[in-house]
Amino acid sequence: MPFAGIDVGSLTAQAVLIEDGHTPMLKSIGVRLLSHSIRVRPNPLDSARAVMGELLVEHGLGWDDITYCVSTGYGRDSVQAEGLANANVSEISCHGTGAHALAPRVRTIIDIGGQDAKVIRVSKAGDLMNFVMNDKCAAGTGRFLEVMSRTLGVGFEELGPLAFRARGRTELSSRCSIFAETEVLHYLQRGVEKSDLAAGVTKSMADRLMALARRVGVEKEVMMTGGVAKNVAVRSELEKMLGLRMLSPSIDPQLVGAYGAAVLARRNGELE
Amino acid sequence: MGIDIGNLLTKVAILDGDELLASGTMDTTGNVATEIDGLIARVLSDAGLTPEDIGATAFTGGNAELVDGRGVVEDAVTCVAAAGAYYLPDVNLVVDIGGQSITSILLDADGDVINFMRNDKCASGSGRFLEVMSQAIGVGVESISDAARGATGAVSISSQCGVFAESEVITHLNAGEEPAEIVAGLCDSVASIVAAQARRFATGDCYTLTGGVTRVDAVVSRIKEKLEGTCHDFPYDPGLAACIGAALLAGLDDL
Repeated sequence: MPFAGIDVGSLTAQAVLIEDGHTPMLKSIGVRLLSHSIRVRPNPLDSARAVMGELLVEHGLGWDDITYCVSTGYGRDSVQAEGLANANVSEISCHGTGAHALAPRVRTIIDIGGQDAKVIRVSKAGDLMNFVMNDKCAAGTGRFLEVMSRTLGVGFEELGPLAFRARGRTELSSRCSIFAETEVLHYLQRGVEKSDLAAGVTKSMADRLMALARRVGVEKEVMMTGGVAKNVAVRSELEKMLGLRMLSPSIDPQLVGAYGAAVLARRNGELE
Repeated sequence: MGIDIGNLLTKVAILDGDELLASGTMDTTGNVATEIDGLIARVLSDAGLTPEDIGATAFTGGNAELVDGRGVVEDAVTCVAAAGAYYLPDVNLVVDIGGQSITSILLDADGDVINFMRNDKCASGSGRFLEVMSQAIGVGVESISDAARGATGAVSISSQCGVFAESEVITHLNAGEEPAEIVAGLCDSVASIVAAQARRFATGDCYTLTGGVTRVDAVVSRIKEKLEGTCHDFPYDPGLAACIGAALLAGLDDL
């Protein structure tokens, strides 16, 4: 019987199912986890029900097949109250647990979500030591990159490769996403290359993340998670600033929170 | 002549002594350096003057470097303070809400700047903030006051970040909230952000409000409710305060 994690974010919701270690349900099909991701619905309960429901149906399972489920993210308590999960745990703990379960050497996790950024420190045993979070200002979050890619007229996924190809870099003087939007528009009107601006956007993003990371301190190894971890340019700029190579999660970096929730579900479930 | 190259709008004003003869406004673009000549020509023509009639010119504003080398550049805080102090000698606090800034300026009895506080790092409460939100609601900036007047309540907006507040507004719309009530909440939010900064300097005496956002009555009336003291209205379009101040300073330098 599988253990489950549900993570409702600001833009997407994730569901993960993992093995209980006794029935080789997943091993037989050659995967370590089953996962599903959707765009969020207005209500976190609907998102949770939809993302896990669709995952279960896809694999011929039902809610009753879940041994134990942990919810995290937006509305995690109401998801549990609704009976969709047995327990709820903060995103911070789930990300820490998920990253540590994937790579026990990890001590610092830089997680960049759609509307927040967190830097989480964990101990050798994977326990949460400390964290800092920005959820007040869009600078340094996924939203900043989203606004910038829209302003540059390129897809969110194209931004990283575009910055990577840049020959120059036009740095932005504004930290504020709204002011940066105006600034980028002015540069485009003056004929500045999109790629040079994408490189400037990357630098701005990495600067904000470094400022956050410095507040809590960075200890090796470092793992980057969340959707922005897929942006090759931000990743490489951050590695340059930190002076180290970061670990890559062996699963989709957006799934780490839900995976951590599922790992905690297995721990709780096996205790019960 | 005073020319204010603001972050969103470029303004030109021509004064004769302290009397405003003519003024004009256009959007600030990346090519403002060349586009400004058309605006200057129009304002000169409205004033019935030729370029030779202009005694002195001063530039100011957050984007004054875009027209580098064309004339004297005066600091934006100094210009707004000069305009406020000149026309309203009783005022000891000028609160300027521009396209990308909120500035509170404390003046002494002689109208000189004692201290000022400026947020130009974050869009919160600025003209751009108002513009982004009103676009999201689907109400033009010029219709904000009309829309807010029709509201029976106000939907409060909790995010101070413009990007997050935009998402919040969209969530409210999707939840079926009345646009008028969201506009009212938006005006409350801008007024609270402005008053929170101004209050650090407010002495309860007379103050004035300037900058493009103070063209929006629904915001101005709410600031007046929140801020102690008596507001003395700027005698001309308050969005022109910085370029009028620049023209006043240009006139002084020319003496």
